[in-house]
Order: sequence, then structure tokens, then C-alpha cells
Amino acid sequence: MRISSRRLGVYAVALAFAIVMNFILPRLMPGSPVDAMIAQLGPRATPAAVEAIKARFGAVDQPMLWQFVDYVKGLATLDLGVSVKYYPQTVVQVLGRSTLWTAFLVSTAIIFSLCVGVVLGAISAWRRGGRFDTIVSPLSVIMISVPPVIVALTTLFVFAVSLRWFPVGYAYDPNLDPAFNFTFAGSVFMHAILPVLTLSPFLIGEFQTTMRSSMISVLGEDYVTMARAKGLSHLTVMFGYGARNAMLPVLTNLALMLGAVFGGSIVTEIVFNYPGLGLTLYTASIARDYPVIQGQLLLMTLATLGANFLVDIIYGLVDPRLREAV
Amino acid sequence: MRLSKSAIRNNSMRASFAAATALTALVVFGTGGAAAESVLTMHIEEQSSWVQNFNPFDLAGRRQSTMDFIYEPLVIFNAEDGGKPVFRLATDYKFSEDMKSVTYTLRPGVKWSDGQPLTSADVKYTIDLMLKNAALDTVGVGETVASVEAPSPTEVRIDLKAVNSDFPETLADLAVVPEHIWKDVSDPVAFKNEKPVGSGPMTELRRFTPHVYEQCRNPNYWDAASLHVDCLRLPQISGNDQMLAILPEGNMDWIGSFIPQIDKTFVALDPDHNGYWQPPAETVAFQMNFKSGNEGNLEAYKDLNFRHAFSLAMDRASMVDIAGFGYPVVNEHATGLPPRFETWRNKGAEGDKDAFMGFDTEKANKILDDAGYKKGADGFRTTPSGKPLAFPIIVPNGWTDWIDAVQIAVEGLRAAGINASVATPEYEQWRKQIIDGSFEVVMNSRADGATPFRGYYQSLSTAYGGRITGAPSRYSNPKLDALFDQYLKATSEYDHKKIFNDIQLLIADDFPVVPVFNGPTWYQFSSKRFTGWVTDKDPVMNPEDHDNNRMRLMHLLRLKPVQ
Repeated sequence: MRISSRRLGVYAVALAFAIVMNFILPRLMPGSPVDAMIAQLGPRATPAAVEAIKARFGAVDQPMLWQFVDYVKGLATLDLGVSVKYYPQTVVQVLGRSTLWTAFLVSTAIIFSLCVGVVLGAISAWRRGGRFDTIVSPLSVIMISVPPVIVALTTLFVFAVSLRWFPVGYAYDPNLDPAFNFTFAGSVFMHAILPVLTLSPFLIGEFQTTMRSSMISVLGEDYVTMARAKGLSHLTVMFGYGARNAMLPVLTNLALMLGAVFGGSIVTEIVFNYPGLGLTLYTASIARDYPVIQGQLLLMTLATLGANFLVDIIYGLVDPRLREAV
Repeated sequence: MRLSKSAIRNNSMRASFAAATALTALVVFGTGGAAAESVLTMHIEEQSSWVQNFNPFDLAGRRQSTMDFIYEPLVIFNAEDGGKPVFRLATDYKFSEDMKSVTYTLRPGVKWSDGQPLTSADVKYTIDLMLKNAALDTVGVGETVASVEAPSPTEVRIDLKAVNSDFPETLADLAVVPEHIWKDVSDPVAFKNEKPVGSGPMTELRRFTPHVYEQCRNPNYWDAASLHVDCLRLPQISGNDQMLAILPEGNMDWIGSFIPQIDKTFVALDPDHNGYWQPPAETVAFQMNFKSGNEGNLEAYKDLNFRHAFSLAMDRASMVDIAGFGYPVVNEHATGLPPRFETWRNKGAEGDKDAFMGFDTEKANKILDDAGYKKGADGFRTTPSGKPLAFPIIVPNGWTDWIDAVQIAVEGLRAAGINASVATPEYEQWRKQIIDGSFEVVMNSRADGATPFRGYYQSLSTAYGGRITGAPSRYSNPKLDALFDQYLKATSEYDHKKIFNDIQLLIADDFPVVPVFNGPTWYQFSSKRFTGWVTDKDPVMNPEDHDNNRMRLMHLLRLKPVQ
């Protein structure tokens, strides 16, 4: 399969833009990492110590152009620098441990919501205008519009703080060491339930809505009428003929929603003290940890661009008419 | 989680940290036999993930349990006991006749946690390391120390650049490191010191994960007889809100957190065991920029009448009750002396000198009227020479209690016809402004120490003016500088008190800053598993477990597991 060179050009420009923005944005924030480090010295910051720290993290006092050259050089060698906040850990180390947890959280939430949302969407389209549809569809609109922070705080307060059914923080019981056994897996599962439930309403709502409209148009197709005429069972027609063919727009929508899911996971991770990218980005922003912020924004940009690229490929595979056009 | 394993004390067994971890071996002192391990769960810092960094010279990155618990100070000064020394690695220190050098005598027989002897060579090595490498200079020896000698294994002589009787107090923040380990470290600034060898009570890292770490008994601790806690357990906590969420679990023993409505949210969870004591700490004061580039404002700041009127416009009670949840206490003295230094108080510097420390808008207006600050059409005053007078008071963004306090101050000032406003830059920006002098007025906590001297010296001497965050006002008074100099040269407690009395008189009369309240100390505890907590009924030391309080070491040694 081929993707047009124009399309690839668009990706290149988007990537370059992201890299430049990534460089500029943290520098627009007031305060520098060196200031932050010196601030921690407090009254003990002798002029000599201040000079020594500045020299050590000298890059920040260099002219912008040289900083940019250093930054691009670093990117090329996958050297994203050293974290200021978690000094002397490198950015790759810091992001490495958090990426795993966010990926786990986000993919679990997506798979869970996809299953629930698609089934709900299919049923409400099948029984369009029925009692199920009139309850579920407006509910989806509500679920899409409630901000994740409200869902997070509510679930935390109700299920963790008040009822104490679930832990209030961490990715697993701090008393356990990571290992491949049931105790540890169970702990990870229990700690993931509330964060996943927090991320899900928005996703379920989105999937339900997309699935419903896509399914409705599919149900009008001749082959569905044909299947019904053959006397196949409702379930077979609904899922085998309808839902299967209505799924594609849902998958497309998923790729486009990745950004929003990451956004939701930032809030969720902060509220549940979940050690993922969101919490890392938050603490890095407060500490003016430029290298970590840059590394993380870049990672997210690449993820979004990658997802869109994937969608382009899927489109091309599915619809031959799109291969040469656009 | 409690373990009830025990092991026989065996030096060869702790050959390495890895072995200790694998065996989770406990070293039980004294009674011998099987004893339950006592693990103290502490909250001393907030982070989104633990990083294994125990480099005592890395103030920003080190775990906050590094000082005191891994590296014991030479001597600690107890502010709650008139600044008296508590000798630890040292047993004594003496100034030379000319006050230009100070000799510490080290405690004999002290060993590092790996069994090597701790000698004067280690102390000399540590200070030399800081002198050579300014980035490691966490106590400012580069400014005070000329050279260090080790005349004998138990003696360290430190030659000072200038007479400075306050020097030992500064050196209480020194972490003496073992030369035999650190001499092989190629880059001490970037060194993470993941397996620290130290002199303090809790040097053995048994467990370290991004979520929790445990620091256990030093098998060679010189004061093991006083130590009844086997391990410190430090769970990662990302902020105040998370602290509130985990408090009901009842697993925390020693806490240093801001807890709103503490009686309801903490004590009520377990009234028999949960307690707190939040004694007033350093003084918070409004500080004006005596080097302001704004002519009108500068004219006002330099006028004693204006500073008096400013103070009379302060509704200190509301700042404490409304902005501070009732946790701080009002500072009623023109000297701004913190309550904890009661024994240093000069009664002669109080009484009628405190006449401007109340909240009296009418009187403030009268003083300004009489001094020639005329009100314009907009209701705001100009200076006696007719220049405009308007300034923002800066306070870091997000410090909600402080922002509210400044808001209350601004209301009071406006009622007196002074055009003040609130500005909330980011903390880093705020700090930068007060260091480089590009601000007008700031509400700020002043420097603090084991005696009141350090706070006054570092906030108000010409030497420190504008150099540190505690001294933004750039106040400069030759008479005061002379008194500070006398104090630094004085040796006896009697002389120190006498000179400090004069300092208080001068401050009360000249009123360079406007004291408002004393912020609280953050300290909460549970007596469910441990006893011996410092409380208001037994206020013998600062009870905070944060890194700014060296006395936390002595606090740890008071604690005993509940049988």
C-alpha cells in the first residue's frame, strides 16, 4: 500500500512544528530550572554555589539558538537530557517508568469502553426509538460532557475514601515488589479499577454515539435486509452483519480520540496518585523540569501523529478510492 | 505490615546491602532473642515518585531522610531550649582567644555504618570537598571558612575568615561524609549515593521502590542504646490532598502535613491516639524594598510614619483566623520576635513600642494625614512631596493562605487611603523578583535559626540585604550592623543576650519591617504504635520531621514502640 508523498509531507511538517513548539513552550513559562534549584538552597545559596549550579546546568543561560541546536542534536541521538526534578535520572529513565503505567491504564480503559460502548451502540441502533435507546443515548451525551476531573474526584471520594472498597493511590500495594504472580497482578488490577472507571464514561459515550449512527446507516443496507429475509436470528444479523460493518468509523474515531484520552489520564493520575505520564508531566511542570516536559510532549505528539498515520493506512486498506486521492 | 523475624547481631552478615535485603535480616540490640520489629511510618516530603538519591550535598534531589538519619550532625542547637547545644558526633567545641578559629572535639569510638572509624580526617575531608567544589557547599563554608586542620584523630580546627560566634550553628547543617567512600567518587555533584555509608541511626536501605522505601538501623550506631525504632518506612505521597485520603487508613505515625480542619479530618479518626502540636515558627512580615526604583513609593517606605500607618492597617486577627485556618498566631511585637524565643525577649523593647502593632484604621489615617500624605480625588494618598504612591504586594501563586492574608492587608491599606494591590507571580518568579530587587512590597517569612540572632542578622544586616530570599528589604543601618558585629565577636551567653537586647530596642524603634504573624509548625502524630511524642505539654523541641529541623534526630531517639 502506498501513501501519497503529499500526505507524508504533511506529517513531516507537523512533526517539525511539534519539535519547535516543544522547544519554545517550556521556555515561555516564568522561572527556569536553575532558579528552581537555587530556590531549594534557600538562605544557604552563597553566590559561589549559585554560580556553580548555573555552570552545571549552563545550557539554560546560553543563547536560544545554541540551546535549540543542542536540543535537536539530543533528539537525533535519543538523548533527551537529564531531569532537573529527578536529577540525576535521565529523561528516558523518568519517562520509561511512567509510560508503562499510562499505556496500561489507557489501553485497559479503551478496551473496556470499546466493548461496552459498541454493544450499547449496536443495541440502541437496533431498537432505535425504543425504551433502551431513549435511556442510553441521552446518557451517552451526558457521559461525554462530564469533565474527567469531576468523575475522578467523585469516584475517589465515594469508593475509595468513604466506602474504602478500593485503594486511594499508587499502581500497586507499596508493600509488594513487582513480580509475575497472582498477588501482584491482583494488586495492580485492584489499583487500576477506579482510574479505568474514571476514564471510561467519556469513551463509552463516544463509542456508543458513533456506533449508533454508523450502525443505523449500515442497517439500511441491502445485505442486512437480505440477511433478515433469509430468516437469520436477530443476534446474528445484529452483530454478524450490522455491527461488524459498522465498526470502522468507531475505530477511526478511537485514533482521533487518543489525545483526549491522554488528557483525561493526566487528571486521573494526579487524583489517584497513579505513577504514569500524567503525574510526571504535572510535577515536571511545577518544577520547571524542561527536559522532562519536552520529552513528554514529544512522546505525546509522536503518539498522536502515529495514530493518525495508522488511520490513514487503515483508510487506504479499506477504501481503494482513497489510496491515490487526498 | 509487621515482620516478626529476628536475627542475631552479626557483623559479617551485613557485608552488603544486597545480602541484607535478601535476608530482610534485623539486627536486634540489647535484650536479644525474638522481638517484634518496630517500623515507624513517616511523611516528610511530597513527591510523585521516589528517586534513590541520598547525596547529602544535593539539596534539591536528595531524599529528605538523608540528613540526621543517615548523616548525623556534629552538634545540634535546640531553639526550644535557649539555643543550647546537643552534642552528637562532637563532644565539645571551643573558640580560640581571637575568635578566629574553632576547634571541635569528636566523640571517641564513633564508627561509620560499614564499621570503619569516623575520625577528624573525615570532617576535614568533607569541608575541604565543599571548599573545592562550590556546588556542594550546602552550608556556606566557602564564605566563612579559611582552612581546616586535623591536629589529632579526634580534633578538627576550623580557621575562619572573620570573627563569627554564630558559626557552629551554621555548621549544624553539615553532613560529614566518609572519606574512604567519597574519595573514589568521580563526580560528587551527580553522585546518587544509592547505598549510603553514614553515621546516623538509620543507614541501611532495606527496600527501595518508587512507591516506598525503608531505612533501617545502623548496625554500628554509637548511640544504639537510645534508639528504639528499627526501621523508618516512607511511603510516597504526592500532596496534601492525597494525605487527606490516606489518613483514615491509620498507617502514618509521624506526619508533617498541612491538614485543614485538623480536629475533624485527623484527630476524630482516632481520638485516643491521633494528636498534633503546631507551635508558631518563624515570623512572617511585610517587607518594603528600600532600594525601590519608584520615587514616590521609596519616599514612603523610608518614612517611619508610613511604616507605622502600614502596620496599623493590618488586620492580623483576620489573617490568622480567616486566611490561616487559625493555625498561625498573631505577632504582637514591634521587634517581630518569634514566640519560641521568649527567653530572649527584651521587655524594654515592648509596651509603648508595640503601640503600632494593633489594627486601627482611624489612627493609621490620622498618622498619614499629620505626616502630609494628602488624599487625591480618587481617595488615594500621595507622598508628602506630592509624588504618587501605589504598589503591588507580591505573593507566590498557589499559596492560598498567604494570598488571602495579603488580600486582607490590601483591604486595610486601602481603607487608610494607600493604593496597594495583590500580585501573584509563580514561585520562581516571585523569588527572582525579591532577589534582584524588582518588587515593591512582599509578605515573606524571615530567616530562622536556633537562636533569634540568625533570623535578625540574615534578614536585616547590610551584609545579607537582597542576597537571600529572607532579606529582600535591603535594609541598611550602620548602628544595627555594628551591633551584629559585636554579637558575632561576643563569646558569652550573657554578652549575646545583652547585645540582642539592644538589637531589639533598635528594631522596635526603627521598625524596618511590619511583622504580622508566626506561621505554624507542621507536626501530627499517632501514638498507636509509638510513644514519646513531643507535645504542647512537653514542649522540649521543635517536633517537625522536615529537613529544616535538626532536632528531629533527638525526637526519633525519644520514640519507643508500644508494647
